[in-house]
Amino acid sequence: MPDWRRVKDRIFTVATVLLALLAVAPLFHILATVAIRGGSAILRGGVSFFTDPPAYPGSEELGGVGPALLGTLWLGLATSLIGVPLALLTAVYMVEYRESKLARATRVFTSSLLEVPTVLIGMLVFLVVVVPMGRYSLAAGSIALAIVMLPYTVSYVERALDGVPRTYREAGYSIGMTRAQVVFQVVMGIASRGVAAGVLVGVAKVLSETAPLLFTIGSARGSYPTGPQSLLEPGDALPLLIFQFAQTPYSNWQDLAWGSALLLTLIILVIFTLLRLLFREVKL
Amino acid sequence: MEPVEVKVSDLNVWIGGSHILKGVSMKAPPGAVTAVMGPSGSGKSTLIRVINRLIDLIPGARVEGKVLLGSLDALRADPYEVRRRTGMVFQEPNPFPHMTIYDNVAIGPRIHGLARGEELDRLVEWALRMAHLWDEVKDRLGDYPHQLSGGQKQRLSLARALALKPRVLLLDEPTANIDPVSTVKIERSIMEYAKTAMATVIIVTHTPQQAARISDHILFIYQGRVVEYGPTREVVLHPRHELTRKFLGGEV
Repeated sequence: MPDWRRVKDRIFTVATVLLALLAVAPLFHILATVAIRGGSAILRGGVSFFTDPPAYPGSEELGGVGPALLGTLWLGLATSLIGVPLALLTAVYMVEYRESKLARATRVFTSSLLEVPTVLIGMLVFLVVVVPMGRYSLAAGSIALAIVMLPYTVSYVERALDGVPRTYREAGYSIGMTRAQVVFQVVMGIASRGVAAGVLVGVAKVLSETAPLLFTIGSARGSYPTGPQSLLEPGDALPLLIFQFAQTPYSNWQDLAWGSALLLTLIILVIFTLLRLLFREVKL
Repeated sequence: MEPVEVKVSDLNVWIGGSHILKGVSMKAPPGAVTAVMGPSGSGKSTLIRVINRLIDLIPGARVEGKVLLGSLDALRADPYEVRRRTGMVFQEPNPFPHMTIYDNVAIGPRIHGLARGEELDRLVEWALRMAHLWDEVKDRLGDYPHQLSGGQKQRLSLARALALKPRVLLLDEPTANIDPVSTVKIERSIMEYAKTAMATVIIVTHTPQQAARISDHILFIYQGRVVEYGPTREVVLHPRHELTRKFLGGEV
């Protein structure tokens, strides 16, 4: 006579394990495909994969994604310069002036911003920046990406700052610190890991965004390597290149898209590894 | 530096509609320890938070009356100036967790530009000695507070306050959650600092025993009103008020 309770327990355990595997299977499939197909494209291209512009469509040569890689790095930097200070100050305001109407409104707006399709943000920047300037530019792309970054970084940083116990603020004030000193030397210091996580999550998010770039940066691959020489010129970015090249019938461009996908994945992996290594949890 | 007498007159405090302190008047002389004693919820912590204007941080607090620190009108002065002259130790040990032991003590003098280099080293050592913590941490000043025991953390918080050599030192039940050894050390520090620096020390406590051990004067507050104020010996041995007698006997 089998022990039915044991059997049922076994069935349940096996079922949960299988379902868990099912849930992560797509992730592994994506990672494996990207690693294999992207890896072979990068190996074929060698160093020139990172430095050269793409070869002509349909040609036997592969070329590289130099302009897109450069553009992505520029976009990451410029977006951080615009978005990070804005997000930090917004989060500080929301935590420090929690009760004020403006802070409550800001909270509602930033969380709504999270729900706005990023393509709309691209269109907004197209109307407000690109049309008046008369050209696509990396600067316009950075502005669009900074808007995308804002709600992610703000909500992370806000939660981190909020988690700092009140007693440390009181301690700061009690030795005569100003509000700014309490915020930047005490609260931010204690919450440094959460703040850094918010910033890096925001950067990682925008590095892989495609939609805000569609109407803003102009996917310029031709002017390389002489350009873009400033942020006011059009440029390219890895996710945009993936989006556009993957849809073409040319196998050399499809390979470039695979290689870019792996490259982008690796960049984001590096960012999260840095987060783990550089910022340790402050023990209370 | 000039000794400073703390003088509170007719102080009323409301927080979010409830009347916390009802016409409190008191004095705390320099060179002595004044204990503010009373059951929980009697308004003791609020009283010392008015003296250093930490009350400003509490949303919905309203204060009326007069608080003098020597000649400084604390309720009208710049709160940062008031807090710089007063030090405070809280019920929970709260050294800054992201700063080393050294930096925790040095931060006050640093932000006010009072000392640098070797002079700062000497000041840090002095404050840690004053807090009876130096011998335990002198070889590990670069460690972080989470490596200390609760009692050591509290002495570090005390050293942080002392490093600014405050004329007025406020303590809000500093030994409520602290081991007996650290409690004794903290009590000694407080008494020594009051005497040697001619500082005005005000300590909030809910245990009459502690008040009797370390204070020169006792202020007994009950439900936001001053019930009794006088030299410690008199209040403890010959309480004039029935409530005080009950509190000392552990009945309130």
